[in-house]
Amino acid sequence: MRLDINTYHEIADSLLRNKSRSLLTGFGIFWGLFMLLAMLGAGDGVKGLLKSTFEGFASNAAIIVSSNTSVPYKGFQEGRYWQLKYRDMERMKTLIPEAGVVTPMISQWGQTAVYNSQSTNCSVTGVNADYVEIEAPRLKYGRFLNEVDVERGRKVCVIGKRIYNELFPDGGDPCGTFIQVGSVFFQIVGVNFSSGTININGNTSQKVVIPSTVAQKLYNRGENVDIICMTAKSGIKMSSLEPRVRQVLGREHYFDPKDEPAMMFLNTEEIFTLIDTLFRGVDFLILLIGLGTLLAGAIGVSNIMMVTVKERTVEIGIRRAIGATPRDILSQIMLESISLTLIAGMFGIMFSVLTLSVAEKIVAASGEFTPEFQIGFWLAVAAAALLAVLGMLAGLAPALRAMNIKPVDAMRDE
Amino acid sequence: MLIELKDVNKTYNNGQPLHVLKGIDLSIDKGEFVSIMGASGSGKSTLLNILGILDNYDTGEYWLNGRLIKDLSERQAADYRNRMIGFIFQSFNLIGFKTAVENVELPLFYQGVSRHKRHALAMEYLERLGLKEWAGHYPNEMSEGQKQRVAIARALITHPQIILADEPTGALDSKTSVEVMELLGQLNREEEVTLIVVTHESGVANCTNKIIHIKDGVIGEIEMNSGHDASAFGTATIMK
Repeated sequence: MRLDINTYHEIADSLLRNKSRSLLTGFGIFWGLFMLLAMLGAGDGVKGLLKSTFEGFASNAAIIVSSNTSVPYKGFQEGRYWQLKYRDMERMKTLIPEAGVVTPMISQWGQTAVYNSQSTNCSVTGVNADYVEIEAPRLKYGRFLNEVDVERGRKVCVIGKRIYNELFPDGGDPCGTFIQVGSVFFQIVGVNFSSGTININGNTSQKVVIPSTVAQKLYNRGENVDIICMTAKSGIKMSSLEPRVRQVLGREHYFDPKDEPAMMFLNTEEIFTLIDTLFRGVDFLILLIGLGTLLAGAIGVSNIMMVTVKERTVEIGIRRAIGATPRDILSQIMLESISLTLIAGMFGIMFSVLTLSVAEKIVAASGEFTPEFQIGFWLAVAAAALLAVLGMLAGLAPALRAMNIKPVDAMRDE
Repeated sequence: MLIELKDVNKTYNNGQPLHVLKGIDLSIDKGEFVSIMGASGSGKSTLLNILGILDNYDTGEYWLNGRLIKDLSERQAADYRNRMIGFIFQSFNLIGFKTAVENVELPLFYQGVSRHKRHALAMEYLERLGLKEWAGHYPNEMSEGQKQRVAIARALITHPQIILADEPTGALDSKTSVEVMELLGQLNREEEVTLIVVTHESGVANCTNKIIHIKDGVIGEIEMNSGHDASAFGTATIMK
C-alpha cells in the first residue's frame, strides 16, 4: 500500500467526483455521530443538573417525622398524633448501633430577619453541629454552627444565600454582625451558599440556622422535636434500619411498628438508588440510539461503496490492466471508505461540540445553574477511533468485491 | 524472440466447455509490427488477453522476453503488465474523471514514480503525440482520435516491450483510423516499439508488416506484408 500524497489525491478524486453522493453518504455518519455525542453530552449535562439538586445531601440518610397513627394499638385509638422527643435520639443511638449521626431539627416558620433598614422573610431552623452530616453546607463566609454554640446556647446563626443577598445587598463578609429575627438578635457566624434544591423543612437559601438549644427555648418547644435526621454507618443500608427505627419509636410512643402512616421515614438511599437506576437506563438508551444511528450510517456507507464499486468495474479493470495490484485496489476502496467516514465523522464531532457549547451558554444564561454539557476530550478521541473502525468495516465488503474484479471481465463489461 | 507461444490451449468452462485456442504456436520478434486478424469468435481476443497477461491459458508455454509467463500471482501479473506491456483498447478506456495528463500518468502511479516526475514524463509524451494543449482536458472534451492518442501515450509511457492494441480503430471513423494506424506505424519505425494489433478489418491489418490469420482457434496463414498490399480493400484507405 502506497500511503503518500498521490494516494490521497486518488481518494479525493474519486470522492469528489460524485459530490452529492459522497455528501449524502457522509451525512449518515455525520448524523449518527452527532446524535451519539450530543445525546451523551446532554445526558451528562442533565445528570449534572439533577445531581446539583442533591448537592451536599447525604445519600444514605433518613428523615423521620411523626404523624397520625392509622391503626389502634395497645388500647389507643387510631388517628392519634404522637410527638418526637429529644430523648428518642438517645434511645435510637443506644438501641441501633448501626446508626451514624442522629440529629434533631426544630423549625419556626414565617419569621422576618432584619438588618439595619433591610428585612426579608425567613424560616428559623434549629439544628445541632452534626447536622452537616445530613446536608453539607457550602460556606461562602465563616463557619457552620459548632458543638460549643449548641451546648452553650449561643445566639449565633448561619444564614442562607437569599437572606444574605437581601440583607447585605452590597456584599462583603457579614460574619460578626447581628441580625434581628423576631425579637432576638443573632450574630452571623457563616453564610451558606448551598444551591441544592432538596431541603428539609424549607429552602436552605431562606433559612436562618441557629443552635437547636436556642430554638428550643426561644420558641417554647420543650422536649419536642419536629424532625429527626439520621445516617447509617458506612456499609449499612438505610432501608435495613427502617424496621428497627419503627420498633424503637413505636415501643416508646405506643404505635404499631407495622403502622406505616404513623411515622414518615423518608429514605434518601432509596431515592438515590432510584435516580441512579434511572440514569443508568437513560445512559443505556442514549448509547443504544446513538450507536444504532451510527451503525445505520456505516451500513449506508458500505451499501453506497458497493454500488460505487459495481459502477466503477470498468475503471477498476483499466487500473488492473495497466498495473494496479489487487492490493492497490483493496487499499484504495478501503481508504475511500475510511476517509469518507472520518471526514463526515469529524464534522459530526465538531457540530456536536458546537451545539453542546451553545446549549451550555443558553442554559447558563437563563438560570443559576452552570451546566456541563460538553463531551470530554477522550470521548471525542474514542469516537474518532470508533469511526476509523466503522469505516474499515464498511469498506471491507466493497473492497473485497473490487479486488476480485478481473481486468478481462471489466473490459467485457462495456 | 520477444514473444514465443508453444502449443497454447485455452478452454472456457462456462456451462459448456468451449475450446477457444487449440494449440497456438507463434513467435514475434522485437520491433515487429504485427496484426492478428480473424472473424469474431476466432479466438483473437482470447489470444490477445493471454499475450497481455490479462487471462491465463491451460496448457502450453508463453515466453515473454525470456520469461515463462505461467501461473503468475496476481501481483506478479500486475507488475509484468505494468512494466512490459502497453494496452490500447477499442473504446480507449480512459478514466473519465481524470484529465488527459492524469490518465497518461496512471501507469507510473502504480510504479510508485513521484508526482513531479510522472507529470513531466506524461507531458513529454502528450507533446510528442501533439496533445500538449489538451493535457488538462477531460476525455469527454476530446475527439475520438484525440482520446485514442491519449491512450497510446498511456501505453507508451512505461517503455513497454510490447504494445497490444485491441481493435484500436474500432470506434474511429476511417480518416481518424488512418491517422492512428499511421501513428502506430511511425512509432514502430522510429522508436522500434513492438506492436501487435488485433483486428477484423483487413484495411487495418494491411497497415502492419505481418498479418497473422487466426481461424477457429488455430493459426492459419502468416502473411508478410512489408509492401502493404495484402488487401484489395485496404491499399488506399481503411474501409468502414
